[in-house]
Amino acid sequence: MDGFLSVFTIELLNSGIRLATPVLLAALGGTICNKSGVLNMALEAKMLMGAFVGIVAAYYLNNSYLGLLAAMLAGGLMGSIFAFLYHRYNINLAILATSFNLLVLELTVYMMRVMFGNVGTWSDPSIERLPDIAIPVIKDIPFIGRIFSGYNIVVYASWAFVIVLYVVLYKTKFGRHIRAVGENIESAETVGINAKLIQSLALFLSGAFAGLGGAFLSIGHLKLFTRNMSNGRGWTGLSAALFGGNHPITTFFASIFFGYTEAFAVRVQNVTELSPQLVEVLPHLATLLILVLVAFRDKIRVSLARRKFRENLKKAVASQEEG
Amino acid sequence: MTHALEMKGISKYFRSTDVQANQDVDLNVNEGEVLALVGENGAGKTTLMNVLFGLIEPDEGEIFIDGKKVEINHPHDALANGIGMVHQHFKLVPSFTVAENIMLGIEPNKAGFTSHKEENAIVEELANKFNLPVDPTARIRDLPVGMQQRIEILKVLQREAKILILDEPTAVLTPQEVKELFVVVKDLASKGYSIVFITHKLIEVMNVADRVSVMRAGKMIGTKKISETDIPDLASMMVGREVILRVDKDKSKPGKPVFEAKDISVSDVNGLAAVSHVSFNVHAGEIVGIAGVSGNGQTELVEAVSGMKSLDGGKILLNGKDISKTSVRSRRDEGVAHIPEDRMGVGLNLETILDENLIVSRYNQSAFSRFNFMLSKEIRKFTNSIIKSFSIASAEAGEGISKLSGGNLQKIVVGRELSGDPSFIIANQPTRGLDVGSIEFVHKTLIEARDKGAGVLLVSVELDEIMSLADRILVLYRGEIQGELDAYSTTDEEVGILMAGGKVKEKSGKQEESVK
Amino acid sequence: MKNKKLRRIFDAFLVPVLAIISGLIVMAVMIRISGAPIIESYQVLLEKSFGCEKIGFNCPLISTLERATPIILTGLSATVAFQSGMFSIGQEGQFLMGSVMAAWLGYAIQLPFGLHQLVIIAASMAAGAAYGYIPGLLKVKLKVNELLSTIMLNLVAIQIFIYLLEYPLRADRTEVAHSHIIEPTAILPTFFRGAKFGWGFVIAILAVIGVYLYLWKTKSGYEMRMAGQASRFALFGGIPSDKAAIRAMIISGALSGLAGAVEVLGVHRRIMGGFATGIGFDGLTAAILGQRNPFGALIVAILFAGIKLGSQLGLQLKFGIPRELGGTITGFIVFFVAARKFYENNIERVREWFDKRRAAKLEEEVN
Repeated sequence: MDGFLSVFTIELLNSGIRLATPVLLAALGGTICNKSGVLNMALEAKMLMGAFVGIVAAYYLNNSYLGLLAAMLAGGLMGSIFAFLYHRYNINLAILATSFNLLVLELTVYMMRVMFGNVGTWSDPSIERLPDIAIPVIKDIPFIGRIFSGYNIVVYASWAFVIVLYVVLYKTKFGRHIRAVGENIESAETVGINAKLIQSLALFLSGAFAGLGGAFLSIGHLKLFTRNMSNGRGWTGLSAALFGGNHPITTFFASIFFGYTEAFAVRVQNVTELSPQLVEVLPHLATLLILVLVAFRDKIRVSLARRKFRENLKKAVASQEEG
Repeated sequence: MTHALEMKGISKYFRSTDVQANQDVDLNVNEGEVLALVGENGAGKTTLMNVLFGLIEPDEGEIFIDGKKVEINHPHDALANGIGMVHQHFKLVPSFTVAENIMLGIEPNKAGFTSHKEENAIVEELANKFNLPVDPTARIRDLPVGMQQRIEILKVLQREAKILILDEPTAVLTPQEVKELFVVVKDLASKGYSIVFITHKLIEVMNVADRVSVMRAGKMIGTKKISETDIPDLASMMVGREVILRVDKDKSKPGKPVFEAKDISVSDVNGLAAVSHVSFNVHAGEIVGIAGVSGNGQTELVEAVSGMKSLDGGKILLNGKDISKTSVRSRRDEGVAHIPEDRMGVGLNLETILDENLIVSRYNQSAFSRFNFMLSKEIRKFTNSIIKSFSIASAEAGEGISKLSGGNLQKIVVGRELSGDPSFIIANQPTRGLDVGSIEFVHKTLIEARDKGAGVLLVSVELDEIMSLADRILVLYRGEIQGELDAYSTTDEEVGILMAGGKVKEKSGKQEESVK
Repeated sequence: MKNKKLRRIFDAFLVPVLAIISGLIVMAVMIRISGAPIIESYQVLLEKSFGCEKIGFNCPLISTLERATPIILTGLSATVAFQSGMFSIGQEGQFLMGSVMAAWLGYAIQLPFGLHQLVIIAASMAAGAAYGYIPGLLKVKLKVNELLSTIMLNLVAIQIFIYLLEYPLRADRTEVAHSHIIEPTAILPTFFRGAKFGWGFVIAILAVIGVYLYLWKTKSGYEMRMAGQASRFALFGGIPSDKAAIRAMIISGALSGLAGAVEVLGVHRRIMGGFATGIGFDGLTAAILGQRNPFGALIVAILFAGIKLGSQLGLQLKFGIPRELGGTITGFIVFFVAARKFYENNIERVREWFDKRRAAKLEEEVN
């Protein structure tokens, strides 16, 4: 089918990477939280909050970069509140996360309407979209150059964060402490590591990452804010982290996978007669599939130990009977 | 001579369980000495050590290091004073290497960046110094348990502990690993370290300790030099002459086997053997007591027998029928009753009312439900009858149970399980944490059930209870039946020896099934 | 005994009431931010939500009850799930599945009045039930976290809904897509002219009673509650917990599907773009705030519907306050309930203080 194959273009490769960025940032947030032993289910809320705060700050401060910073701070603050409530009051994380998600969904639209009039979507021409950066040298390489050059700063920042997170987690003292807290909290506490502080820090950072991901959507991509802009990408990010086994590098690839799923859906929409919904549902189905596969993988692991034990028993009985 | 460590007058009362865990306990250890701290479960050893390590604050008492008084409010302080603890449940990170674990929290680093080379070198030096060879680059999760323990020891040595507390260190070791550990301990002692070796296994005490302190029921009974004591002596100190209750009971008249376990094996959560090739019978009208210190496979045995966990090997029969693969419900329908060791988390649902707790195993019966509807009047009647016949104080039909005392809660459990005339009763630590009156009640009820013809499998870590109730005694040690004794002719000391891993001359009696 | 019962009810209500009061305080702050007058806002809110001049004429209360209807049903759906230990938030997706089924069968088949509605309701409940079965099965067999799976399934359901609305079921080429209006034989009759209040509300009330009876008076309900409250106890007693969990998800899905049917057959008579979004989440909050009790969910659902309607018709129309206020306050209230420990700790402190004063007073009297 000629129309269908025309989907596979350089633009597809580009948009895949762009669309993966917010998912990747959320996934990095999820990774760092999971590594420290806290399941952060409010990434969606932090992303959405970041999207709103980011574009509003960019407008008022006349500077999109400061908008990004504001988004990160907003997300980080939410993360800290989350940590405080969790440690101080031992709140059920699922309910807390659900309340955050609900709250932010409505609150952002409310504030938008209060501040900018009764609109469903808000934008302003004065807001500068984040500029695309053309990397010298690389941009001139045929084919490769078009894939790796020309994105805005958030995309490159997200790649940098992947590397940084990897280095921190596996090459520094701090990262070791994070992983110790996440794997066996008592091992850390009995040697004097402050587990609560580490988890609070992890939640702050994950909020900041998710917030940045949201700001990418509003300032870097669409240059507007609308209700539920994040549209499930926070959850997709969490799934990517789980799928990637909470390792920055594999999580990166999982996020790219999700990004391409979405890009593919968008392209197919433009090029064929297939209805937009049937392809827009692909990322969600992919996430669901990943969840199932991860659960399946964990189940196999557990039953393996038991099966080995039973086989050894049978062998022992058999050899007894022989000998 | 000043002791390296001295604890004076330690007392600790736990309000939540209404237990005086430590009462005016004195303990001292000298430099270069191995002190064994022994006692049964609940004797107070763990509490005492948690006080020493700063995990618990005592109500009274003082601690002296090298004659100087110290304040220990947190593990930090303990470590700062040279006290290091090797816990029974390891506090290691499975995915980290040996070196990473040993250096956790004190990693050598340049601006935060760690150096595997440096750490590995430090660990190798440490290992050589103490003659405890390890591979710094191996990952913890790939190592056998004995090696993991060695790393825990190196961890405290690296932090310059002079006084080492080893909490039940041999609980998870193979006999070979135990031998190696003893060599290490004696070697450390010879280098001037002081070691407190907590254990319930008297054989080990005789092999490795210089002195031994015995605790019982929260009190320090006495301390002796190894040369001045032996296993029977220690066993009698551990177990004591304070016989709380010996129930009056007729000798049993056992009938046909109600329950048979044939060569059963059950794995634990890690895939290791918790119960290993165990065979025994329980006859109608008899109480079989499974004695043993906790952690020797009792939990997994009961789970398998009750149906809450599946068997990995062997068969179990109820009244001749093979029930190895049947569900909990069908076993209960066939007449199995189960008094669990955790009454609040397993035996009851504290979030709901008394009636709903009482009918959990019989709501399907036609007396209590029809066409999916529960007959609340009948259930209410049943509830009231249980309250009356078991004299459960301050319990009311239709009310919650979360505020009732432990004794009353257990009465609810016992009342529920024993009404309905079950043919086979599993009683797992049935009097744990109960007051004397409640203990008496439970014992009386179990004897009555036996006399009515039920077969009772009593699993208990309280030797008193076993001696008082059981007709036959089997001792569980490391997942196997260590021996079988006739309750009417054996002594506390004999059972104690088996519980501690030793051997006695068995009196065969008239039992058909014996140990593998 | 009366005293104990009162005390228990009091304790059960205390935290949600405090949370709602806190929410109303936050509302004052938010109204301030929007620049509207606070006292008048509360007045208008109350008038336009629970006020009633004459039934059938100027009676927002009736509209509130009607708006509460689908929330009551999704609230029951969440209640059943929560009581069984399943933290499912899939009401939104199950609701959409039910409404799509109702919109389709409403005009695609011909049946006499009375039978038509029954068949549609049954089919919608089945659609919702099937959609609830999926995450239930995944949880029981593979331990897939039901919070995550139901969220994904919600998103999938939204796409399915939009697709069916825009293509197969589309009635005409208007800007906002909508389906054919259902046959007159499928409509759920209303009671008063000018308002959509009708059989839907009756069905919701019957459902509340039904869920109560099912959960507390039947064997199945007993099994589900025990499995949800104390899973090890359930295993110990021989309760088939897995079956109970799946049953809970099926029933939960069916109730949300019923909400969809009632919304289509009783109110909108078709589905269209922007159809009743958020009903699922409102039901979820009603269940949480209603302390997982069907009657609690009923009360809270009516309260929330009132807040929403009052914000929409009163505050928005009169003062220009954005209608999202209602949703935001709802979110805050859930947040406050989640942070219940905060209230509980402070209630403890207040109680202790009272006890101390009483003890001190007694001492004084003795001396």
